[in-house]
Amino acid sequence: MDTEVEEPLTDAVADAVEDVAAQDVVDDEVAVATEESSPETVEIEETVEIEEIVQFEETVEIEEIVQIEETVRIDRADDTQPANAVTVIEPPTTTSRFSLPRLTLPRLTMPKLSIPGLGRRTEPAEPVAAAEPVEVTESTEVTASTEVAEPELAEPEVAEPAAVDLADDEVIEIEAALEPEADSEPEPEPEPEPEPDADVEPEAEAEANEKPETTTDDEVVEAEIVEEPAPSPKSKSVTKKKSRTGADIVLRVEGLTKRFDETIAVDSIDLEVPVGAFYGIVGPNGAGKTTTLSMITGLLRPDSGTVTVHDADVWSDPVVAKRNMGVLPDRLRLFDRLTGAQLLHYAGVLRGLDGPTVRERTADLASAFALEDALGRLVNDYSAGMTKKIALAAAMIHSPRLLVLDEPFESVDPVSAATVTDILKAYVKAGGTVLLSSHSMDLVQRICDHVAVVVEGQVLADGTVDEVRDGQSLEERFVALAGGRKTVEGLEWLHSFSD
Amino acid sequence: MQLVGMVLALLYSVVLAAVVTYGIGALRSETVDVARAIMIVFGSVIILGFLVLPLVFGADDSIDPRRFSLFGLSTRSLTLGLAVAGAVSVPALAVTAFAIAQVVTWNRGPLPVLLAILAAVIIIATCVLASRVSTVVASLFIVSRRARDAAGVALLIVVALAAPLIALLATIDWQSRGLPIARRVASALTWTPLGAIWSVPADAADGHIETAMPKLAIALAFVAVLWLAWRLLVAKLLVTPTSHAGRVGYTGLGWFERLPATPMWVVAARSLTYWSRDSRYRVALAVVPVVPIIMILTLIIAGVPASTIAWVPVPVMCLFIGWAVHNDVAHDNSAFWLHVSSNISGRDDRLGRLAPALFLGLPLALVGGTLSGLIVGAPEIIPAVIGLSVCVLLVALGVSSLISAGFPYAAVHPGDSPFAQPQAAGSAGSVVQTLSFIGIIVATAPVIALAIIGSMSAPFWYWIALAVGLGIGLVVLYFGVLAGARIVSRRAPELLAFTVQN
Repeated sequence: MDTEVEEPLTDAVADAVEDVAAQDVVDDEVAVATEESSPETVEIEETVEIEEIVQFEETVEIEEIVQIEETVRIDRADDTQPANAVTVIEPPTTTSRFSLPRLTLPRLTMPKLSIPGLGRRTEPAEPVAAAEPVEVTESTEVTASTEVAEPELAEPEVAEPAAVDLADDEVIEIEAALEPEADSEPEPEPEPEPEPDADVEPEAEAEANEKPETTTDDEVVEAEIVEEPAPSPKSKSVTKKKSRTGADIVLRVEGLTKRFDETIAVDSIDLEVPVGAFYGIVGPNGAGKTTTLSMITGLLRPDSGTVTVHDADVWSDPVVAKRNMGVLPDRLRLFDRLTGAQLLHYAGVLRGLDGPTVRERTADLASAFALEDALGRLVNDYSAGMTKKIALAAAMIHSPRLLVLDEPFESVDPVSAATVTDILKAYVKAGGTVLLSSHSMDLVQRICDHVAVVVEGQVLADGTVDEVRDGQSLEERFVALAGGRKTVEGLEWLHSFSD
Repeated sequence: MQLVGMVLALLYSVVLAAVVTYGIGALRSETVDVARAIMIVFGSVIILGFLVLPLVFGADDSIDPRRFSLFGLSTRSLTLGLAVAGAVSVPALAVTAFAIAQVVTWNRGPLPVLLAILAAVIIIATCVLASRVSTVVASLFIVSRRARDAAGVALLIVVALAAPLIALLATIDWQSRGLPIARRVASALTWTPLGAIWSVPADAADGHIETAMPKLAIALAFVAVLWLAWRLLVAKLLVTPTSHAGRVGYTGLGWFERLPATPMWVVAARSLTYWSRDSRYRVALAVVPVVPIIMILTLIIAGVPASTIAWVPVPVMCLFIGWAVHNDVAHDNSAFWLHVSSNISGRDDRLGRLAPALFLGLPLALVGGTLSGLIVGAPEIIPAVIGLSVCVLLVALGVSSLISAGFPYAAVHPGDSPFAQPQAAGSAGSVVQTLSFIGIIVATAPVIALAIIGSMSAPFWYWIALAVGLGIGLVVLYFGVLAGARIVSRRAPELLAFTVQN
């Protein structure tokens, strides 16, 4: 890839995208490259300044980025790069109004929700205080993007290895920053955002211009390490441990235990789910996944152990903790004598939303999950997949920070599963966290970035998918962890038919 | 409600069967003529009942042939097996008792007794097969949920009215007026399949063997026809899938848009929606007006004056309306998780569930109380009737709020027929129901006492009854809701675990 100064934007974007691919943190789903005819490439030659990329949250700019992205991919295809090296979430091609739930994260008054370690470059210069963690994330993304984009302007090659070493979450943010994000509105408070961003940008740009590229990466990493978490006024005895990537922990489970009569269903499970993670819990039948998730969400009282969601204990401070969680339990009924619309209204109002908000969000969710015509029917008459979808919609209607989903893809057809996956991915990119359990290893390997393998109530392996996979496929590793496969003997009578 | 209902129904039917059996046996002492007439009429009614009642009751059948369609059993074995299984039921046992009793009736000679024994076997076979055939026919045609509920309620009303009807019939002077009618009806029925088998031993005892044999043939032919029909239906049903009733669409949010969007009101809206849509609640509600009708009829027959009877219907209806929510959490079953995960406050949950009962019961108390007084021409009792009704309603709601949170017991699952038994067996339910009922009556005793005082002395006491009734009701409601709310707030996960297990 040669540097061509006349098309700085293309290369910058392409480099960033390539870095993203090189990191291997994105999933392997290859968005279908829409075949654009060559006249489209002409549009690239409109030189769009970097400042405009930074302001990507303004809707106007999004479309342009979209087109650029598509054309970039065509170049890559010509260069016979491996197909899965570049991963771009394609812009929506559906003609229907595909607006996904607006996940407005509530303004929480707890200052301890500042999320350190997300690469704020300069602490004193940061005008956005810790009050709005989301804004911090966004501006950090912005900062990161400018970091990456601007150095590449000057010396792309040198910046590449530096960019390559960026930590996972930085890269995710870069990707998010470059995402067209047309299929999800800028979720967290679009109105106040441009202002802090505008404040941060000039400073960030100035700093980026000043500092040499080689130290970019070190600066960023140091910034992560140096920043200590803001002392939380609700100082609990639990210290905020940092995960490997330095991101904050949204869910911390320690020593969770549950026994039913003689069987120990869950045996002292410890979990840490970082913010912005797509966490999968896999395990064989009867491993205790559903029990664990029930205890995490407050539906089942544990025998011992603590569960904290953003430092709020689920069992001693349920008001705060449960407000941050959306739950999709497994094998529990819904109020199926209500229509779909009534059920969503019920779930929303129970969570504290008001009528107009619930109605608006119901409409959004219905169109996102393709349930518009089913909203008027009783939930009792739904198919199994539609029931899952309406339950998932009810779980996310109050835009929680953490979604705990127990087997969300069970009995859901592949098209709906893809829709649900897209919605969840957009949610995760906006700063939410998803914790799901599944039997399907392929699915977890594809869409999750963290995984925990639970067998017989104990966590046998946890971490990022690559760490757990250890080179094999997740299914092989899981089978190995779960005790290997037993060759089936006997059953000869099955092969001679009795009729 | 289920367990009390089942126990009461069982007692009711056992007592009824015992009385009837004794009555049949007592016909031994009557002349052949009288015994014959009564037996034919009565027997025809029984067989008719076996043919018709399952049409309204039997749509949810536990030994429906369709449930066996996947096992690959032969039609022959299934036909016989299911017929025999149908013989193991309370009505079939009752008929067996009647059939044996009628053997006693015709113990007037060797031939009548032999024919009576033969007739007993044929009677049992006829009744069992008739009930099976009509059950299956019902399940083929009465499919929609509403039709089934309506049919079930109609049955309940018929059954409930049977007691006062029998009491009424008992007062008729049979000898003079009833018997000629019975004779005429018997002679009309004697050649029909319904009455033929009952008249076989009768004709033999009367000496008309030449009419007894053809009637025996008719009865046997009837059994054969029923058996054939049963066989054909089983064969057909084994290859017929269950048809689904049409799916109803609703527009708008119903109660949810009429009521404010706060947790308490939205729980109320949900309860109101369920009371109107869920068949379990609808059936429980439909029974509410039936009970006072029974009581009124019984009291009328017993000769109680109208002014006393006026006190009965409205408070009793309010009692049952208030008591209908005493196991509400168990009726929600595991859908209660939505309340637990959204951390609903106990107070919102309890108060919301009271809403439909209050919406229904308070106007009923006011309007019904006023009407009761006006109908019997004693308007001075109106305040006391209203006071008693409101007191009973509020006390029942307060007690229900407490025990639905603290002492739930297994209830019918959502989606099951309201006449099905709850899947988890347990005796706790009956204890809870009995104690709560007694508790409600004890709490309203002062108001009843004041009403009695008022009836004996000045009407001024009626106004005091109203005030005291309101006071007691509000106090019990307040503390009941408070206690129930505290339980829900603290033990919501345990409540959820209970609903999951049941």
